[in-house]
Amino acid sequence: MPDNTTNPAAKTATTAGLRVTIEAVAWITKFVGGDGTERINFDETAQPGDNIRTVLKKLSGKYPQLREALWDPDNPREIGEHVEIIVNDAFLGVDHTLDSEIKDGDRISLIGQFMGG
Amino acid sequence: MTSEMPGGYAGKILRIDLTNERVWTQELPPEELRRYVGGTGLGAKILYEEVPPNVNWDDPENRLILATGPLAGSPIWGTGTLSVVTAGAMTNGGTSTQANGFFGASIKYSGYDAIVLQGKAKDWVYVYIKDDVVELRDARHLLGKDTWEMQEALYDEYGLSGHQLSVYGIGPAGEKLVRFAIILGDYGHAASKNGCGAVMGSKNVKCVAIVRGTKPLRIHDPAGMYAAAEEISWDLKNDPSTQGLYNWGTLGGVANGVPMGTAPVKNYTTNIWPEPEKLALYEAPAIRARFPHRGHQCNGCGMNHCHMFVMPEGPYKGQLVDEPEYEGLSGCGSALGVIDSMQTTWLNTQVDKAGVDVNEWGWAAGWVIECLEKGHLTPEQVGFDIKWGDAEGINKLLQLVAKREGFGDILGEGTMRASKKIGGEAAKCAIYIEKGPSPRGHDHRSRWTEMLDAAVGSAGTIETGPLIRPTELGLPARQNPFDPDEVASSTAIALGRRHFEDSLGSCMFTTRTYLEYVCRALNAVTGWDYTKEEAMEMGKRVAVLFRAFNIRRGIGTELEKPSARYGSIPVDGPAQGQNVMAHWDYMRQKWYDMVGFDIETGKPKIETLRKYGLDHIIPDLYEAEPASHAR
Repeated sequence: MPDNTTNPAAKTATTAGLRVTIEAVAWITKFVGGDGTERINFDETAQPGDNIRTVLKKLSGKYPQLREALWDPDNPREIGEHVEIIVNDAFLGVDHTLDSEIKDGDRISLIGQFMGG
Repeated sequence: MTSEMPGGYAGKILRIDLTNERVWTQELPPEELRRYVGGTGLGAKILYEEVPPNVNWDDPENRLILATGPLAGSPIWGTGTLSVVTAGAMTNGGTSTQANGFFGASIKYSGYDAIVLQGKAKDWVYVYIKDDVVELRDARHLLGKDTWEMQEALYDEYGLSGHQLSVYGIGPAGEKLVRFAIILGDYGHAASKNGCGAVMGSKNVKCVAIVRGTKPLRIHDPAGMYAAAEEISWDLKNDPSTQGLYNWGTLGGVANGVPMGTAPVKNYTTNIWPEPEKLALYEAPAIRARFPHRGHQCNGCGMNHCHMFVMPEGPYKGQLVDEPEYEGLSGCGSALGVIDSMQTTWLNTQVDKAGVDVNEWGWAAGWVIECLEKGHLTPEQVGFDIKWGDAEGINKLLQLVAKREGFGDILGEGTMRASKKIGGEAAKCAIYIEKGPSPRGHDHRSRWTEMLDAAVGSAGTIETGPLIRPTELGLPARQNPFDPDEVASSTAIALGRRHFEDSLGSCMFTTRTYLEYVCRALNAVTGWDYTKEEAMEMGKRVAVLFRAFNIRRGIGTELEKPSARYGSIPVDGPAQGQNVMAHWDYMRQKWYDMVGFDIETGKPKIETLRKYGLDHIIPDLYEAEPASHAR
C-alpha cells in the first residue's frame, strides 16, 4: 500500500522495462489506500507488448476497491461507469484505446467521473 | 387507473390570481397523476394547457408554477425539492429548474402539491402560506433586499427560522428583470435556469414564504417506503460512483475537471490551470478544511452535502457564506480565473444574494474580462477595468448588473444579447446557445453530450445531463466523449430520466442511484407499480410536451447551435484539437432520429406523440400556425 501521508507525488518504484506512471487523482486515491485527496503515483513497469488494459489490470489486481470501481462488472475487460481515463493528457479514445501498446514513459491518469450541480 | 388519490399526494393545487387578488384550490385529477407524477411533469402539463403561444415570459398571463412531487416530505433523502416551471426569460420557452432545501416538503405539509401564480400584482407583494391561510402581503419593505436579507427579514417578522419558515424569492436582480435572475431560498438553494426569477419579478412578487405546515402525509406502504429509503441511502453511501458525492457533495469538481479539460478556464480561452501548484486549493477536503463549517442538509437528507461556511480571514472575516456547488466554483472561480477557492466561495455567495444564475454569470463576467483584456471593450464602456481573478472587481460588476446600472443594464440581458449588442470582435468571445439558455458550468468542448443537450433541449437548460448508470439504459458503461455516435445516442436514450426524477419532489443527487430503486420508493409511497421502463416513458412524455410547447411558440431548430466560442476547438488541454462542429449536424440528425422528432420543423412526429399518449396535442402542432418567436 502506498504511503501518501507525506508527499504522494514523490513516490517512485521504478525497475527495468517500459516505465509507465499511473496516477490516481483525488477521490480515486480512496481506492488505493489514500484519503481521497491530492495524487498518488504508481511507477509501474510494463513489458513489450503490454497494453493499457494489461497495466491497469495489474495495478487494480492489487487493490480490490480500485478493481471494483474501475471495471465494468458485466464485462470486466472494459472500463466501468465510475472512472475516466486520461492517457498522456488526452482522453482514452482519442489517441489510445485499452488495447494500445504501452510506450516507455506513458502516463495514465484515473479520475473519478464527476457530475456537476 | 384508480380514481382514488394515490399516496404521497396532498391532492390540491393552490391557485393564486395576483391581478384579481384571488386565491383558491383546485383538486388534482388522480387519473392524470401516473402520467405526469408531479413536479416538472405536473408543471409541464399545466404550462402547456394554460399558457398560449402568444403569451411571452413577462406577460401576466404566463404561469409561474412551483411544484413538488409525491416523494416530497417523506424520509427518503433529499425530498424537499421544488420544481419551477414557466415560460422563461432567456428562451421565452419552457423551463424546468429545481431547488432543494425545505420548500417542497413545506408545500406538501401545507396541504398542496403545487402553487400556480398567474396575473400580476398591482404593487409588490409576497405570498404568505400557513396551512389554509394564504395571503398576499405587502412586500415594499423587502424591496432592494438581497435573497438572504429578504428571508432573514421575514424570519425576524415571524419569529421563525430554518425549516420552520421556507422563503423562496428574488434578489435585486429579479426585481429589475435581469434575464438570468433566479428564485433562491433556504440560503443556498436556487431554481436558477431560464430567468425564472425575472418571471417572478414581472409579477411583482418578491417571494413565497411558507410556514412548515401541519397536514398529514399519506403513504401507501410506510414499511416499504423505509426499506426503499434505506436501499437508496446505502447505495449513495457505498457505491464507488457516489461515495465522493456522499462525502463532499460536488465540491471537488474543479480539481477533478481541470485534468479532464471539463472545467472551464478563463472563458474557454485555455484548459490549463493558471497556477497548477494551486489547483489543490480546489480539492474538496482542502476547501472544507479552510472554513469553519456545519451541515445544512435538505429535508430528510443524510448526505454530507450543502454545508454553510464562515469566512475565516480577510476583509470578510466572520461573514456567513454558502458552500459552493461545483457550478459555483466554476462560474465564480475557474471561468473567471479566480485561483483562490476562498475568494470564489465568497463571490459565489454574492451571486446568490444578488439573485442571478451562477452559470450565466460565469459566461457574462468572463466575456467582459476577456474583452477588456483584448481591447474589445474599454474600461470607459464598462465603467472600470477588471482583470482575471479580480473577485472584488467582478463583484462590482455583479452589483451593477443586479441593479441594471450602467453597463450592468446591457449585461443584465445575458451574455448572448449583450454580446450581440456590442458586436464586432467582442461578439466572437461570448459563450451561449442561440436558443438562449445558459450552458452549464463545464467546458462542453470536452463534454459534447451536454453541448448537444443544451442546444436541442426544450426546458431552458440541459435535459439529460451527465449519464447516471448508463448500463441500466442499455448503454455502454463508458462513452467516448468525442465519439459522435455515442454522444448522440446517449443524449437521446437518456432523455426522460431527468424529467422523471424532477417530477418526484426529490433531489437529483439522491436519485443518482439505480432507477429501479427510485421506482421502488415511488411505488411504496403511491401504491403504483412503476417500472424503470414506465419511468423513462413518463419522462420522455414530459420532454415531448416541453418540445411541443416551444414549437408552438416559434422556437425553431435554426437556434440549435453554439456560439463561435462555445463551439470552438480547444487550443490546449485534454481535448486539444477536438472539433465538435465538424460533427454537429450529424449528431443533431442522429438525436432527432432517435427521439422521434423532425429535424426540419423541430416537431415531435405524429407517431411519437401517439407513442407517449399525447394524441390530443396533435392538432396544436399540425393544424395551427406557430406564434412568432418574440424574445
